[in-house]
Amino acid sequence: MTQLELELNEVKTEVGNMWALVTSQLNKAREAILHFDKDLAREVMQREKRVNAFELKIDRDCENIFALYCPVAIDLRFLLAALKINNNLERIGDIADGIARYVIDAPAPFPAPLMEATQLLRMFQDSINVMQDAKTAFETEDTVLARTIFEKDEVLDRFNLAANRQIAEVIKKDINLTTEAMYVLSIIRKLERVGDQCTNIAEEIIFYIEAKVLKHLQQKQ
Amino acid sequence: MNKKPTSPINYRLAKSRAYQVLIIIFAMAITIPLFFIIGYIFVQGVQKINWTFLTHIPKPVGESGGGIANALVGSLIIVAVAAVIAIPIGIMCGIYLSENKRSKLAYWSRLSVDILQGVPSIVIGIVVYFWIVKPAGGFSAFSGSIALAIMMLPIVVRSTEETLKLLPDSLKEAALALGIPYHRVILSVIVPCGISGILSGVILSVARIAGETAPLLFTAFGNPYLSGDIRKPMQSLPLLIFNYATSPYDDWRDLAWGASLILLLWVLLLNIFTKVITRRWKIQL
Amino acid sequence: MEDTIVRAQNFNAYFGTNHVVKNVNIDLPRNNAIAVMGPSGCGKTTFLRCINRMHELIAGAHVDGKMYLHQEDIYDMHPIFVRLKIGMVFQRPNPFPNLSIYDNVIAGYKLVGMKLPKAERDQKVEESLTKAALWNEVKDSLHKKGTFLSGGQQQRLCIARAIAMEPEVMLFDEPTSALDPISTASIEELFFELKKSYTLIIVTHNMQQAARVSDRTAFFYLGELVEFDDTKQMFTNPKDLRTQNYITGRFS
Repeated sequence: MTQLELELNEVKTEVGNMWALVTSQLNKAREAILHFDKDLAREVMQREKRVNAFELKIDRDCENIFALYCPVAIDLRFLLAALKINNNLERIGDIADGIARYVIDAPAPFPAPLMEATQLLRMFQDSINVMQDAKTAFETEDTVLARTIFEKDEVLDRFNLAANRQIAEVIKKDINLTTEAMYVLSIIRKLERVGDQCTNIAEEIIFYIEAKVLKHLQQKQ
Repeated sequence: MNKKPTSPINYRLAKSRAYQVLIIIFAMAITIPLFFIIGYIFVQGVQKINWTFLTHIPKPVGESGGGIANALVGSLIIVAVAAVIAIPIGIMCGIYLSENKRSKLAYWSRLSVDILQGVPSIVIGIVVYFWIVKPAGGFSAFSGSIALAIMMLPIVVRSTEETLKLLPDSLKEAALALGIPYHRVILSVIVPCGISGILSGVILSVARIAGETAPLLFTAFGNPYLSGDIRKPMQSLPLLIFNYATSPYDDWRDLAWGASLILLLWVLLLNIFTKVITRRWKIQL
Repeated sequence: MEDTIVRAQNFNAYFGTNHVVKNVNIDLPRNNAIAVMGPSGCGKTTFLRCINRMHELIAGAHVDGKMYLHQEDIYDMHPIFVRLKIGMVFQRPNPFPNLSIYDNVIAGYKLVGMKLPKAERDQKVEESLTKAALWNEVKDSLHKKGTFLSGGQQQRLCIARAIAMEPEVMLFDEPTSALDPISTASIEELFFELKKSYTLIIVTHNMQQAARVSDRTAFFYLGELVEFDDTKQMFTNPKDLRTQNYITGRFS
């Protein structure tokens, strides 16, 4: 293997490691909501520093490869995709961090009817699954899998849309739940953004493997 | 012929053809005499050559038979000694000149070699006569070899120098960069790589002096008997031809023809040998 | 702190009165690939040739200042010893045309009359050719003349020849500029292996090559050493404006 290939593989591994870290952040945030575990939430906020450090390192490594090797074709596309995916992952990390903050701020666990009405945990699990799928697609260079992410994001979008109505219903039934309902709504919004970030990631994966640009297209196969 | 507008072209074509024919005629004018000479000598000489011819010395006047054994042996010895003297000196001089392009000594050496090449062979013979024959008290094959060696030197020096100059500097650099001492670079790298050129120069110089007569007139002088002593006068093929060709005796003239053919064959073979050797030893650079 | 193997101190080189290398001070670390780059005529090749004392072979060439190998001044040593420890590979591959591939590799021993026992010779040839990534291609034709190989193979043969002398430092004077891209790539890959055993100093006018191959890079301009730094640093954020102008192609 040439030196360039070794360096590119390094970047790929690092991105994979960051991915695993961010996924575990999301998992922990979900656990924190489920068990209303503020300690776990604090762990997530601590780990956020590591996510940021990862982002800086990957940025720098990509910059070095550009400077030293002047890569072309698939190598160039891979690095451009890796830079953007790096960014997306960092934002997902921020989302996990944000959700953890809500758990810490929340005075009491979220009430069961609220959770069931919005299917918060289900949506959370779905968004984590989408993350996993995206990671698999990236590591195995599977563009078919990458394309399924667009549909899965639609599911999350639907959850988000439905949530408006559902939350309104819950508040109408019991006005005391308003504060918690606001928190839950915010969390749902954030989870919807996880789906958007994963959509961007999927677009980058397809760009780097197939050289097709799917950004801003209405119809995505 | 009609006065067509193309007639100037016809005229130019005809002129071109005429020149072509003229050139071919001149080329043949050179080649034909050469073949005539070779053919004539061959025809005249081949009948005279037999085993007796090659192994016996000339008989005294009046007796028939005899041969040119003393001249053959004499030529071989004189040329061999000349080669032994001239070749090492010539090659070393050539190496020096190719390695030192700008020194004062190189300038004067080169000049001397060039001038020496133009000195008439009889003058060289006379000079050697005064320097060696007179002080030594008599003619000798050795003085003849010296005279011939002086004639060989310019050819060997020049061809060695030119061959080595053609070798790329990168060869020397490669050897020096390996930590090889300078004298070894020359002896083990430069000379072996130039060996074909050097060898052809050597053989050409031998071919050149094989038939020289004038330098031997006052030095080796000639000898009716077979002798191996280089301190004494010795017979050689050109001397024999010189002396016997215009003699009134038929037997002696026959010997001269035979000797001419032998000498001619010798020079021809040396030249062909040179070509073969350079092709075989030519090192792909 | 890395071990310094070659150090130049206030080093100058001249061709007669022409001052070609001006007051260079540089510490070259061991087991690194160090690229020396710069525009034509900047003195990089002259500087390289001073390191193994090939510069002084040209009439009128002289130097002043100090050049140390470990702690010894190479200008106090006999040039032959210097060249035994510091090997060189040239721009145009120059295997000896009258020697076979086998003999070419051990030419450094053979041509000085050093007779090694056959087993040792065979081993040295195999090791050197393996380290030069040429063994598999020529192991069945060791008796053939070196000039029948392709350009890239000839250059690797020259590398093997230098390796056989077991130097500590290997100098490369634009080693791939006469080769096609594939051969160039194979020799660049070789550098990554070689630097584990030797210190490599590579003059190149191809700055992308300097970027790909080296750990440290020195930039020469008009005879001066302008900048000497980690390659990554040099190519992402050079300290001197002249360096930046050179690598961005603002001047050739």
